[in-house]
Amino acid sequence: MILGIDSSAITAGCALYDGGKVIAEQFLNTKHTHSQTLLPMVESMLKSAEVELCDVDVIAVTAGPGSFTGLRIGIASVKGMAVGAGKKCLPVSTLEAIAYNFVGIDGIICCAMDARCGQVYNALFRSENGVISRLCEDRAVKSADLYEELKQLQGRVILAGDGAELLDNVTEHSFTLAPPALRYQRGLGVCLAAEGREPVEAAALMPSYLRLPQAERERLEKESKAE
Amino acid sequence: MMEFITNSVEETLAAAEKVAASLSAGDIILYEGDMGAGKTHFTKGIARYLGVDDEVTSPTFALVNEYEGRLPLFHFDLYRIDSYDDLYAIGFFDYLDRGGIIAAEWSENIAELKDELGEVITVSIEKLSETGRKITVSGKYFGD
Repeated sequence: MILGIDSSAITAGCALYDGGKVIAEQFLNTKHTHSQTLLPMVESMLKSAEVELCDVDVIAVTAGPGSFTGLRIGIASVKGMAVGAGKKCLPVSTLEAIAYNFVGIDGIICCAMDARCGQVYNALFRSENGVISRLCEDRAVKSADLYEELKQLQGRVILAGDGAELLDNVTEHSFTLAPPALRYQRGLGVCLAAEGREPVEAAALMPSYLRLPQAERERLEKESKAE
Repeated sequence: MMEFITNSVEETLAAAEKVAASLSAGDIILYEGDMGAGKTHFTKGIARYLGVDDEVTSPTFALVNEYEGRLPLFHFDLYRIDSYDDLYAIGFFDYLDRGGIIAAEWSENIAELKDELGEVITVSIEKLSETGRKITVSGKYFGD
């Protein structure tokens, strides 16, 4: 049984999944901070499902990209639970977790999260016959550049993630904006993205902030000046 | 634009309270003014209007101080923050979604920030004398 947890951006979610069966799921899209809502949400879900943490095989969590605070809350919470219950962890890409909302819905899934200052965290996936395959690595791109790239794609393109609305504004509705129920990262997507993968020890679980190329450039520039 | 000439800390606090009366959740104040101009005192006035009980102190070392009032108040000092990377790593963007009031000092260090924040309120504090200040408020609600 997989416990999947996400608090990587504005929304937060958790789910319990066991070999093809969705046992429980919760989702919050409020302005309350995850530090106050995430653990009570997980606890209430486990209680409703009458599942103890020791019944869980692995705890999966979105490790990035995402908001700095959100990722740290998710990772720290999962580390704590895993150490306490003697469980292993499984970090998954937030963008991949979003893509797994679309199992069974064929098309190119463009997952985009708002990275602020005109940029999005993005990866492209293909959903075909119930299988999700990755078309590119997680990256930070200017939303305008991503739009140009999307225009070149053939077939149905579905926009998902909290950056999808930003892209949708510039695309004049030429792509499909994922409906609200599928648009954001959810606990179940975390579980599905984690399924069948090799878990890690809690100590090895780390957030993977996706550094922005622009920011990298700025830093390199600063460093070269300092030398 | 709104302009105040204040001759004491108390008058600066009162000016800030007047400005605070126009604010609502999500509003962002960006300060302009040298060290010692009274940016923290102005923030104290906002906090007083919001009914904050805690003492308001300079956020220079902590980077951000959070206060609980009728609306949450987040007081930033971005003096040591000069890139998008740093802003991300102090969680600045996460505060934009918290539904509070942000009052930030030294935001001008990060060029790309202004476009991201949309319509903000600019509070410019000029030292006229040891105790005298000229406070100019412009932007959202206050005009050019």
